[in-house]
Amino acid sequence: MSSFIDAVSSQAFMQNAIIGGILASVACGVVGSYVVVKRIGYLAGGIAHSVLGGMGIAYYLGRPPIEGALVAALVFAVVLGWVSLKMQEQEDTVIGALWAGGMAVGILFISQTPGYNVDLMSFLFGNILMISSDDLLWIAALDTLILVIVFLFYKQFLALSFDEEFARLRGIPVERFYLLFLSLVALTVVILIQIVGLILVIALLTLPAAVSGHYVRSLNLMMLLATVLGVFFTTGGLALSYQPDLPPGPTIILLAGAFYLVSLVITRFWKRA
Amino acid sequence: MSTDSVIKIKNLDFSYGGPKILENIEIDIQRNEFIGMVGPNGSGKTTLLKIIMGVLTPDKGSVKVLGNPPSQSVKEIGYMPQFAPFSRDFPISVEETVLMGRLGKTSSIGFFNKADKRAAEKSMNDVEILDLRKRVIGSLSGGQLQRVLIARALTCEPQIMILDEPTANVDMKVEKDIFDLLKQLNEKITIIVVTHDIGFISQYIHRVACINRTLICHPTSELTGETIENMYGSHMHMVHHHHEDEKK
Repeated sequence: MSSFIDAVSSQAFMQNAIIGGILASVACGVVGSYVVVKRIGYLAGGIAHSVLGGMGIAYYLGRPPIEGALVAALVFAVVLGWVSLKMQEQEDTVIGALWAGGMAVGILFISQTPGYNVDLMSFLFGNILMISSDDLLWIAALDTLILVIVFLFYKQFLALSFDEEFARLRGIPVERFYLLFLSLVALTVVILIQIVGLILVIALLTLPAAVSGHYVRSLNLMMLLATVLGVFFTTGGLALSYQPDLPPGPTIILLAGAFYLVSLVITRFWKRA
Repeated sequence: MSTDSVIKIKNLDFSYGGPKILENIEIDIQRNEFIGMVGPNGSGKTTLLKIIMGVLTPDKGSVKVLGNPPSQSVKEIGYMPQFAPFSRDFPISVEETVLMGRLGKTSSIGFFNKADKRAAEKSMNDVEILDLRKRVIGSLSGGQLQRVLIARALTCEPQIMILDEPTANVDMKVEKDIFDLLKQLNEKITIIVVTHDIGFISQYIHRVACINRTLICHPTSELTGETIENMYGSHMHMVHHHHEDEKK
């Protein structure tokens, strides 16, 4: 543990990793809470995984993968949102097809890219230890954008996630706000890919909010506690993985997953008692 | 009592692409009327309500709500659904739920403001749930939740209230409380309530709209066992009750 603290105080990459984790936790606490209460984890998973298509194409074209991720995430958010609004009977099948199709496109483009394919693993599993100062600026900018939109349309997002039918009857353009909301999910996914990679994104997006939801009585508090938990999971995962030299992404996820399971058991037992 | 028309439907047909669900519907609902809407399951009651609220468009005929097409007047309608469509474990308080009624009346950006909170407080007071305001909705009883939904509809400051089986999941005592409350609200608001319990509510309502693809309206004084049996197409157990003075 003390060597971890030494590393944090002396190594720039460790400081970046900690700051990256904190910044990502803001987006994941706020947007993840909506994903959990609206129960669209599967849809969010579809957005997260299909993003590999965009990253692969960007990689093939010699552009930074994050640019491809951003474009692909927003496109898939709108496409999947449209599917879930218009094709409710087959929603899960279509999401599954786009989920796998997006990944397949990504793998094909990566395989056709000349040179050594070193980055594939870091796309899939992320590497919080590789976060640069530029990445931090990106994440901070996306965080700011997400927070501004959530503050502006707090009421509409609350109404949409709580009772869509009533929101529609009050004259709220529900479809438009749903697509806007899925775009926020897309931005959050892009942020979180930097931390844990796209395979594990969905866990970091939902687990802090789900644990938080066990204890709080309002959506605002749920977001706040989820953010604090996110900081705890990312920093704690980094610390645990440092000494035995484990990959930090999976360590972060396992820490969050363990907390979720323990919390689930405790709250179940508590409610019954 | 003024006599202007708040909902006027003429010669309306509707289908979901197949057979007609509603046929040749005509009704003219006056301000401050209290209408009971009855009919068997699948008779088109909820469909008609959705047309009045502009969610569905009829195949034929005209619908005017407060003199305008339904989509323009929907904000003047306070709606209470048959089933709470939200998850009971959603982390939201009674007060926040009731505040949702202000959507469409308050500013479209930012948080709820002081005027919104005052309006919500007034409706919570009207339905006697002010002491529950900080409670999370998951902790409420069925009757308390019905009151929250009525308060939310009231917070819309509606000219018309539409309630779809507001007492389907509560006991007789709560049912009576809720209808007493609606009767008070009816002094200012036109009310349409869908129900199966026609015998019980006939002491509250002015007219019964019987729907079974077509619509027939009866003043409550005309209600007999025979009309109700024709409506449901099977024998019903009748309980005698008194009518209070009708408004007409």
